[in-house]
Amino acid sequence: MLVLVLGDLHIPHRSGGLPAKFKRLLVPGKIQHILCTGNLCTRETYDYLKSLANDVHVVKGDFDEVSTYPEQKVVTVGQFRIGLCHGHQIIPWGDMESLAIVQRQLDVDILITGHTHKFEAFEHENKFFINPGSATGAYNTLDRDVIPSFVLLDIQKTTIVAYVYKIRDDDVVVEKVEYKKP
Amino acid sequence: MPTTPLGSPTEEQEKLLIESFDIVKQQAFQMKRCLDKNKLMDGLKHASNMLNELRTSVLSPKSYYELYIKIIDELRYLEEYLTDEFLKGRKVHDLYELVQYAGNIVPRLYLLITVGVVYIKSKELSRRDILKDLVEMCRGVQHPLRGLFLRNYLLQCVKNILPDRQLELENSENDEDGMEVGTVSDSIDFIHLNFSEMNKLWVRMQHQGHTRDKERREIERRELRILVGTNLVRLSQLDGIDVEKYKQDILTFILEQIVSCRDAIAQEYLMECIIQVFPDEYHLQTLNGFLRACSDLSPSVNVKNIIISLINRLSVFAQKENSGGIPDDIELFDIFSSQIANITENRADMPAEDIISLQASLVTLALTCYPDRIDYVDKVLGTTSEIFEKMNIELIESKSHVCRELSRLLRLPVDNYKNILKLLELKHFAPLIDVFDYLARKSLSLYILTNAIDNETKIGTAEQTDAILTMASTLITDQPDEPSINEDPDDFAEEQGVVARFIHLLEADEADIQYLMLNTVRKHVGTGGVKRIRYTLPPIVFRLFDLAEKYKSVREDDDKWEKKCSKIFQMCHQTISVLIKAETVELAELSLRLFLQGAVVAGNVRFDGYETVAYEFLTQAFSIYEDDICDSKKQFAAVTLITAALEKMTCFSTDNHETLRTHCAQAANKLLKKPDQARAIVNVANVFWNGKYIEDGREVEMKDGKRVCECLKKALKIANQCMDQAAQLQLFIEILNQYLYFYEKGNDHINIQVLNQLIGKIKDDLPNLDATDETELIRTHFENTIEHLRNRIENPETDEPSYTGIVL
Repeated sequence: MLVLVLGDLHIPHRSGGLPAKFKRLLVPGKIQHILCTGNLCTRETYDYLKSLANDVHVVKGDFDEVSTYPEQKVVTVGQFRIGLCHGHQIIPWGDMESLAIVQRQLDVDILITGHTHKFEAFEHENKFFINPGSATGAYNTLDRDVIPSFVLLDIQKTTIVAYVYKIRDDDVVVEKVEYKKP
Repeated sequence: MPTTPLGSPTEEQEKLLIESFDIVKQQAFQMKRCLDKNKLMDGLKHASNMLNELRTSVLSPKSYYELYIKIIDELRYLEEYLTDEFLKGRKVHDLYELVQYAGNIVPRLYLLITVGVVYIKSKELSRRDILKDLVEMCRGVQHPLRGLFLRNYLLQCVKNILPDRQLELENSENDEDGMEVGTVSDSIDFIHLNFSEMNKLWVRMQHQGHTRDKERREIERRELRILVGTNLVRLSQLDGIDVEKYKQDILTFILEQIVSCRDAIAQEYLMECIIQVFPDEYHLQTLNGFLRACSDLSPSVNVKNIIISLINRLSVFAQKENSGGIPDDIELFDIFSSQIANITENRADMPAEDIISLQASLVTLALTCYPDRIDYVDKVLGTTSEIFEKMNIELIESKSHVCRELSRLLRLPVDNYKNILKLLELKHFAPLIDVFDYLARKSLSLYILTNAIDNETKIGTAEQTDAILTMASTLITDQPDEPSINEDPDDFAEEQGVVARFIHLLEADEADIQYLMLNTVRKHVGTGGVKRIRYTLPPIVFRLFDLAEKYKSVREDDDKWEKKCSKIFQMCHQTISVLIKAETVELAELSLRLFLQGAVVAGNVRFDGYETVAYEFLTQAFSIYEDDICDSKKQFAAVTLITAALEKMTCFSTDNHETLRTHCAQAANKLLKKPDQARAIVNVANVFWNGKYIEDGREVEMKDGKRVCECLKKALKIANQCMDQAAQLQLFIEILNQYLYFYEKGNDHINIQVLNQLIGKIKDDLPNLDATDETELIRTHFENTIEHLRNRIENPETDEPSYTGIVL
């Protein structure tokens, strides 16, 4: 089962669009679910995600004006409970222990957050934390050098392989992180 | 199905055809039987009877064709018999004389052709003379349908025996048997004659019968056109032809025939036929003649399609590998542009859309054959402008034919260059857009900007920015001719989104140029009015933030960078303020967020006066919060964001930091809902711990454990005031987690006793909750918290305080 995890696109506020190299990779019919950490920021971007997969979950980013997106969401895929939250509400931003508090509250195996525009995937107290970064490499006040990135989760029975796609020096590079449910 | 005397025309035709088929079947059978018995004369008689069926004038061209195919097929038996006979030594010459006595001309000529071919193969007499004889004799049938098929039979039969020798071989004209074989010139003459006769017959069909049947007749003629075209195909298959011969002997003759027949159907088809059957290398050498003929065609001929077809072929040829491209000595573009001008002038009634369409084909030609000659494209655009002037066309309405053609023309260079900067080199491009009405202008503007976005075309100077935005002004600002009807809001948002996305393409290596570009775009979109600026201003603000950081990164090389940064923040301040003045709730939220972002950036960049700017930006965020955000949920979101930003910022002096965090705490206290208050105060606790300010030029981390504790206690107190027990417990657990967080971080104002107290309270209260889905979540939350604690106790980290004495 393939799950696309991405967010902080900030089109058109901070970016002209997804990099062409990513667009070529993202084709309809391969991905079953999309989990988006928010900041889309327009209807068009949502429609684009909808064109890639039917099942699209979005939480509200600080620059989303759509009031129907929830602040947090829990999605169950296979045997995994996955929590989704943009992360601007979690202070300090991107802080591991603070994220862990949200993970405990949502009672999830995996917590996906965004906001920092920096890819991260790590295990903490047997839980998995993912930040897909910004798919467009959108400008961020915290760090000027943003690398465009998104994550593709291959979810098996009790294991997850997270493939992270980044654009480095104009090329797409892919790295792999594995997580096994204890 | 029984046929009735008054059947439909199709039924009638079928009936007639079946009758003929029966006769053909019988006669063919008899013919074969006689030939098998070597009774040649009887065989010929039956063949003649069979061929008699082709004398009919009641069959439609379609039925006649079916009958013809059937008979030709049977006739092959005779041909094979005769060839055998000839191989056995029989003199064909007798036969050639013999069949001339057949009673009717149609069967006689078919037989003559059949025998003639065998005769040629037998080499008994000059091939040249027989061919000439046959093609001349076919004049005897002047009925169009019968004549066309007869000549088609002739053409088919001689397919492999046309002389194809080059001129230089002519000195050995006689082959080993001393017979005159003829040269390719004889074949050309032969086909020319056959072609011109067939064309005459074909054209004559148009003028036969009643005028009310004109439409049906034209359909029938189109069905027959391939018979005439086959002559040209045959010519193109002659190996003995080269460019020179084509030019001298073939094209001139054919064009003369085409022009002089004055029949639109024939002209249109045959011109197209020439383009398709002869090689591109020939066309290149004969362009002027061909195009001149185009201007002489009948006024009802669609010359446009012919020329476009030729241009398309040559464009494909020019791009083909190994084609060698267009030879340097052929001024393809000049030839086409002057000939097209000529044609347009000669045809006063040519509709404007067709004229534009021809110009578009010239653009295609220039783009594909001369990719480096931007001036060619520009020349066509200039001509197009002049055409409009001459025709007194000042406004082109969308959805009109002219609009469709002009849009297509203008999109050609956009698509081809995939770089809108090249459009700016075309002097005549932008002025042509102005001829369009509002909708057409808007649509083209969108097309251009979208092209830039799709191709990620970077814009590098203020002049380019200005020129592009001027070209796309329909999207940027209100237009005098803008319809007053409100557009679909989604469409409008999408269009403005395109403009906003375009702004991200402005990217200069030099910061100063980047500033000039952003200034330019700011001026342009500033005129867009409330409905547009909400889309177009935010990208500018973010680009300015980025620019300020860029100046910081080049500060070693630019001693004025600080001044420039302060100018940038002034511009940001002013731009965001414009958004607030638009006075809508969403824009208030957006402006607040932009000010917050600006405060963080100013703090990062540290130019001269950055603290004042950062402070001002945060103050602005607070004022918007106080004045314009009324919804309690949005208020909570705003306070959270402001607190989070302050927690991250490290640029304030002791005093300013205190003022700001006190303000955050006050705002948190003033929130409407108790749970919101409690959570907001917990957030403020983070500022007291992680917050940093500058004291005596050094960055000091607050780590104010006492104040953190006060905040958490306050949050507990507020949680205690919650009437809803589930909400209260939820808050208790959240606050417990925060206590643990700060305890683990080493806040020594928190002791185990306080933690035990809170855990105990939660444990006491939890059983009192009704079992619902919500309370289940609260229970799990607590269990997860305890699990976390257990994990910490079992795997203690050396640098963290111990949980000794905690009661789980």
